[in-house]
Amino acid sequence: MSESNAFRLTRRHFLGTVAGGIALMAAGPSFAQSKTLQVLSHRVHQTSLGEGDKDLLADWKQDHDTDVVFTTLDSNPLMDRLFREASLAQTDFSVGYMVDNRPTSDNAKLFESLQEYQDKDPIEAFDDIAAGLVRGMTIDGRLIGIPVRTATQGLFYNEELLAEAGFDAPPTTLEELVAQTIAISEHGKATGMILASDLAVFPVMFARAFGGDFINSDFELLPDPAAMESALTVLADMFQKGALPRSYATNKGEELLTWMQQGRAAFCVLPFARAAQLNDPAVSNYAGKIKAIGFPISETLKGKAEMSAVVEAWAMTIPANAVDKDLAWQFIKEVSSKKNTLGMALNGNGPARVSTFLEPELTAKNALAEIESQVLSNARGAFPPFAEAARAQQIFIEEVQLAVLGRKSPQDAVAAMQTRIQPLLPA
Amino acid sequence: MKTSRMWQMVPLLAPVQLLLLSVIVIPSVYVIWLSFHTSTFGQSASFVGWENYVRVLTDPGFHNALWNTVVLVVVAVHLEMLIALGMALLFNSGLWFRRILFVAVLAPYAVSEVVGVAMWRFLFDPDVGPVSNLLTALHLPLLEWSYEPSHAMIMIAILTIWMHLPFTFVIIYAARLALPSDLYEAARIDGATPLQSFRRVTMPLLGPAILVALLFRYIFAFRLFSEVWLLTGGGPARTTEVVAVYLYQEAFTFSAFGPAAATAWIMVIVSMLLASGYIYLLRRQVRNAG
Repeated sequence: MSESNAFRLTRRHFLGTVAGGIALMAAGPSFAQSKTLQVLSHRVHQTSLGEGDKDLLADWKQDHDTDVVFTTLDSNPLMDRLFREASLAQTDFSVGYMVDNRPTSDNAKLFESLQEYQDKDPIEAFDDIAAGLVRGMTIDGRLIGIPVRTATQGLFYNEELLAEAGFDAPPTTLEELVAQTIAISEHGKATGMILASDLAVFPVMFARAFGGDFINSDFELLPDPAAMESALTVLADMFQKGALPRSYATNKGEELLTWMQQGRAAFCVLPFARAAQLNDPAVSNYAGKIKAIGFPISETLKGKAEMSAVVEAWAMTIPANAVDKDLAWQFIKEVSSKKNTLGMALNGNGPARVSTFLEPELTAKNALAEIESQVLSNARGAFPPFAEAARAQQIFIEEVQLAVLGRKSPQDAVAAMQTRIQPLLPA
Repeated sequence: MKTSRMWQMVPLLAPVQLLLLSVIVIPSVYVIWLSFHTSTFGQSASFVGWENYVRVLTDPGFHNALWNTVVLVVVAVHLEMLIALGMALLFNSGLWFRRILFVAVLAPYAVSEVVGVAMWRFLFDPDVGPVSNLLTALHLPLLEWSYEPSHAMIMIAILTIWMHLPFTFVIIYAARLALPSDLYEAARIDGATPLQSFRRVTMPLLGPAILVALLFRYIFAFRLFSEVWLLTGGGPARTTEVVAVYLYQEAFTFSAFGPAAATAWIMVIVSMLLASGYIYLLRRQVRNAG
């Protein structure tokens, strides 16, 4: 066909367009800051640093001529991606956030030892960062992460639903808690308590209220089996009496917030930092009415032992194969500063620094800061990290579900936990 | 074809071959290699022979997942085929508002799986779901999918049928439209009843399309994942876990890449065995047609 066409693409036009496009792409970065630091984290880590005008890192970015780009994922996919990135020959992610129940002797080798960086260019008042959290990120003598966030579990309650069921104060013992949840369910307006069944946190809290545990820091499985049996008996009784929802076995962690915000449940166990979301008038039907206390201990132990709540901590790591480790350390140093720890706490982040809880600016804004600080002082992880920890948690959850739903007796479930989990523990 | 001509075609075929090699052949070979090694993050792979296969095949969790998968595949795929066949015949017989109904039937295919499952979760929520409330109001038994394992399996089967019905329906409906009407005229003149026409004309001629649809659905259904993962997560207490969820847990929760790779190959072999009857029938049909 010889007719001329205005849209005909000649070889010269094609090559010119390709060359121009490549030149434009090459010039692209000059519009932004000259350096980019890629960070792999949960969305909550990004939002706690503030955005736009409230960006806590605005000055640091300007001083270092650096743009910080976050890639955010949910907890489990985030850990998988972080370890996958760290296993490559090289990764673009210079900083990765890691939860404290994941590092093991094997995977810790994939991350930089940060003690050398700390010795060379120290983080401000490093001793102020909770020592237990730092120990949790020290694997085989190597410090691989700087703690940045704590999520300490508290007991949230809806005071309006409690009052309607005739309770003018939250429970002070586990037995009172169980009685209140059953009474509220019988009252008919809401379910007594909502718990997620996909995490070990919740049954572990109940076991600790009886002085027991799942796996302690010495890798002792079920150090007090009778306490775990008591915990499962209580949970099964609550389920049978309707104080836990029929959907218990499929409730997931993220659903707890909406249940509480909509007033479908009167009690739940969540990190203290969730108080702002639970009381946000834009999304909660009970804004200002959802309060929190420390999870109560059983009356048999009241005054004799302290309740040890579950705390989850996140730390910032540098993959050993990262492209810009020095810049990554500068970022970690800045985020860990006292100023930014307070700034993040004001944005709803559980601080890793002990002193931040006492900052007047925080206590004035967050009425729960003092309670959280007290609970944190005796809190510890749900279980220590080890190679088969995820599999052990899954077996534990399976046996807990069977007991709570009434398909197995608590005694049989505890016996099965011992048989099935013991071989997975480190020798 | 002459050899010289074939060599001339190689540059034209090479991109496709390279693509197949890079996205199917090499990863498959790598997964075979991985299935004979133990490997996790931060640990170099070490050869363990058949250990991963033995471990998976002797795991009661895998037996349960495999049984659930087979039950769901057999029930859901055949039920889906029956519904799709009935709907195709209904559409072909002439319906009012056919275009609107056609869109309604195809809609589930346009909905993202995640959104679809979230919607069903809400509709059948035991406490506040509209469908559950309706069943309660009508004094009918509830579908307690979050508590009763058998109810959860029924719910997963209904959900997977709803999601994939458009695929089966389109294949069967297209095949039915292609059937010549003079065959039905001849059958009518010969005195065939509608049921006899269906048995003696429709079914034999729809056979190849039904086989193709069944074969594809068997293979797709064996990979069943999102419906289970998003609806029940394999619970309560792993009673609704399927093989794809088992594999996901091994690979991405436990970071046990060896057993995960072995599971993947076992999945391929079992799904081929399950579909082998239909593959045999299809081959026989192709041979007869040739």
